Amino acid sequence: MAQSFRSWEERALSEPGELAERELLLRSRGLSVPGGESLVLGFYDQGRLAATGALVGKVLEGIAVAREAEGEGGAAEVVTALIKAALGRGIGHLFLFSKPEEGRRFAELGFAPLASAVLGPGPGTGGALGAAVSRGRGVALLEWGSPGIEDWKASLARAAEGKPRGAGVVVVNCNPFTLGHRKLLEFAASSVPWLYVLVVEEDRSLFPFAARIELVRRGSRDIPNLTVLPGGPYVISSATFPTYFTRPEPGQEEGRIAELHAALDLELFRRHAAPALGAAARFVGTEPYCPTTSVYNRLMKEILPDPGREGPALRVVEMPRFERGGEAVSASRVRRLIREGELAAVRPLVPPSTWEWLTSPEAGPVIERIKASDSRH
Amino acid sequence: MKAIKDSVAGSLESSDVLVTLRPSSEAAVSLQVESIVMKQYGRRITAVAEELVAATGLSGASLRIQDRGALECTLRARLETAIARATA
Repeated sequence: MAQSFRSWEERALSEPGELAERELLLRSRGLSVPGGESLVLGFYDQGRLAATGALVGKVLEGIAVAREAEGEGGAAEVVTALIKAALGRGIGHLFLFSKPEEGRRFAELGFAPLASAVLGPGPGTGGALGAAVSRGRGVALLEWGSPGIEDWKASLARAAEGKPRGAGVVVVNCNPFTLGHRKLLEFAASSVPWLYVLVVEEDRSLFPFAARIELVRRGSRDIPNLTVLPGGPYVISSATFPTYFTRPEPGQEEGRIAELHAALDLELFRRHAAPALGAAARFVGTEPYCPTTSVYNRLMKEILPDPGREGPALRVVEMPRFERGGEAVSASRVRRLIREGELAAVRPLVPPSTWEWLTSPEAGPVIERIKASDSRH
Repeated sequence: MKAIKDSVAGSLESSDVLVTLRPSSEAAVSLQVESIVMKQYGRRITAVAEELVAATGLSGASLRIQDRGALECTLRARLETAIARATA
């Protein structure tokens, strides 16, 4: 049967007409348009779009084969073309989102399953996570290439070597590190034998990763039972949680996808990161402003302590935001003040180490960027 | 010959094999073999790969073979192509 699809004509899609045809194909297979694609491929059989697949950074998304072209290894051809395109761009470690029921098909193509998440009835009905797989309500994440999840778990296990089990974990972006973060770390470190602080590594924030993790290190140096680690590609990264960085409004279809991504990130944490670190608790600050983060916190309290899931259950401890001047101390407040030219007002909101950095020449370009941007993060 | 760039040959289609080669910091060649007929042909695939690595003098690479039931001649062709592309 290979003969029939070797005649497919492969090309990169960019014309509005081509993209509209591709969207129809995706919708007909119950998929939505991923967005942010760096490459969209179309496979034509005698002028008709038979299959499509896209590259979003290092993520393979939007892979669909038309119903009439199914069953002849079409997905294999699409995946092969995307792998080659990615390697041609120097990307050797790839992720793939699929529907949970189709994860096995991609596993047969050499993709390793990392985690899957399924949402119950939609927003408005409590959004409870259910076991029932309904169309379009679940997502599975797989990876291809190296270094992979096993390498990452080994690096976490090395960092945790000789440290007490029953540890706690905080995942933070710290854009930048404030007194609010500091209070959360102090509180968490005082209630567990050891605390791991995983700093989101994705460089999509106004403060670059190198500066963010350095400020966390400096600002927490005096807490003896604490280790600061880079979050790597599996903790709130553009691969595992793309909507964290795009912040869609909840309630819309995009909001539902954001919920799925949040759930997936938490399943990944529970199955892989927590056991590797010997963690038994996760600490988080309450989220009064950002809808994406507040959904994330809600799902955290559902997923991590649930005894019915894979991997050991974890305690979730939510700490109220530290306030100063009747308002929560948050990194977004700090950025807002910088944007408004009120740098002096930032001083009481951050530890001395962050203040020192903000007033150093190194911070100059970052401050200029914040003033020029209207990004929320 | 040292691998100097990423290369790939073949495909994941049925009766083919996808060979991916990436430069690595180790001097030796690390080999990862997956096959839908692993039990029957896994050892043969490994032997062919090791033979070609030795014959071409390839070094400093990690080599991944994802076999979808390819004939041996196909496997050899894919390996030779991937090695040639990675060292060119």
